[in-house]
Amino acid sequence: MVFRSAVVVSCVASVLLTAGIATAHHSFTEFDRETEIIAEVTVVRWEFNNPHSWLRTRIANDDGTTTLWSFEGSGPTNLIERGITGATFEPGDALTLMYCPMRDGRNGGHMGWVMLEDGTIVNPSDGGCNGNDANITRWKEWLDQGFRSNKEAEAASTR
Amino acid sequence: MIRRAGSALVSLGLLAIAPLIALAQFGAGYGPALVTEPPPREFANSEEHYAWLLGQANGGTTHTLTSVPRWEGLWDTAGNTMMDAFVDAPGFSGQVREGVLTSAYEAAYKERWRQQTELGEVQYDRLTHCEPAGYPRFLLEPYTHEFINLPDQSWQINDFASGVRRIYIGGEHVNLIGTHSWYGDTIGFWDGDRLITHTVDLYPSDFTRWAPMTSNQFESVEIWELKQYPDGIERLEVQVTFYDSFAFEAPVHAVYAFKRAATLEDAGYRVTHWECETTNNAVMDEDGSTTYRLPGEEGFVDPRGFTLFPELPGQSFDPIYNISLDSE
Repeated sequence: MVFRSAVVVSCVASVLLTAGIATAHHSFTEFDRETEIIAEVTVVRWEFNNPHSWLRTRIANDDGTTTLWSFEGSGPTNLIERGITGATFEPGDALTLMYCPMRDGRNGGHMGWVMLEDGTIVNPSDGGCNGNDANITRWKEWLDQGFRSNKEAEAASTR
Repeated sequence: MIRRAGSALVSLGLLAIAPLIALAQFGAGYGPALVTEPPPREFANSEEHYAWLLGQANGGTTHTLTSVPRWEGLWDTAGNTMMDAFVDAPGFSGQVREGVLTSAYEAAYKERWRQQTELGEVQYDRLTHCEPAGYPRFLLEPYTHEFINLPDQSWQINDFASGVRRIYIGGEHVNLIGTHSWYGDTIGFWDGDRLITHTVDLYPSDFTRWAPMTSNQFESVEIWELKQYPDGIERLEVQVTFYDSFAFEAPVHAVYAFKRAATLEDAGYRVTHWECETTNNAVMDEDGSTTYRLPGEEGFVDPRGFTLFPELPGQSFDPIYNISLDSE
């Protein structure tokens, strides 16, 4: 995969996430923050709502059908400070996103970063997945090498 | 139709005489290291503390609309030293400090801290089911704050589900409701440009998810001051002493700070009212941990759904797109 150079990310979010904690209205225990997965999604609805935002998307299955997947992000004020608004994701947008899956295997997760159709990368994450600058930089290299999950990339690096 | 922002996306302690320098600031700090400044003497309770400060200020400064300090605008939290009172350095890998909390509260907090340190996250937060942040959590919630000072009242507002503290300047405590509340009853006075407050009648609450619980006897004395530092750094600081006869062995001191939310203001952000009940799908599971209801699951709340009258035109909470989650 070609990773476009127009990487624009937040300089705001990193501190709390780096500390491994975020002051949200809920705990993030349901998300497996040790697992990061890439998904190609089509936006159904961007719920830019308090106390947390959710991106509802469809992901294509091998048989041609699609499945509704839900990804949580931070609250609107945090997102606006990162340049993300209620209009950043629109219905029908084709996005590449990195997420940390729900531990129980249901169709959802917490967003790390999201690549827009023009290659711009934004960080809508909260404490449920790492979308900070350092992780985006790491993923830039992994995407160039065609990796689709951190486990895959880390396993390759130890071989 | 909303226009895409597109290219506009940019990166965009225990009582002591000497000041206590924060060993590990929890939360996003801004500017010089925060320094906790305990009062110069001990007090039996918060009432005595507040009365002493009022006496030191000769009854307080009477401000007019033109002289009262102006702190309007949007503010973000900018660090605090609260956790330094309860956990030894270094920060989130430290141990719960012994003897600060009473035995019952210490035991409860150690379990909370075990979850934080061993599991990486406290498993459940009371705010998940839409409880208000309340006080003292008001002081560190990351949602933006506003501080409106008038000669006879100050209003302190947190965007988090619109938590509001009303500080009655020059007043006495009043409780007509016969119980306590999330933000309690707050009185205050001005000492020059410093706002001194006294808060009582609070519900049991907590400092935050990974910090200790507080009891229904929790009270505080605060000193608010807008401070300027080199390089144009402006910080609204609140030196606070917490009293709690059920939870603390002795009063606890901390400093909290706020910085101007310049990015939000530049973006033209306007605070709107929101609540949690119509948008939240985070819930407690059978094991006491946090989980989420997804679309199509029992109990799912559609944040962009309809009012109680969906058959009427115009009853959707998604008036721009009006897209159902069932659509392909």
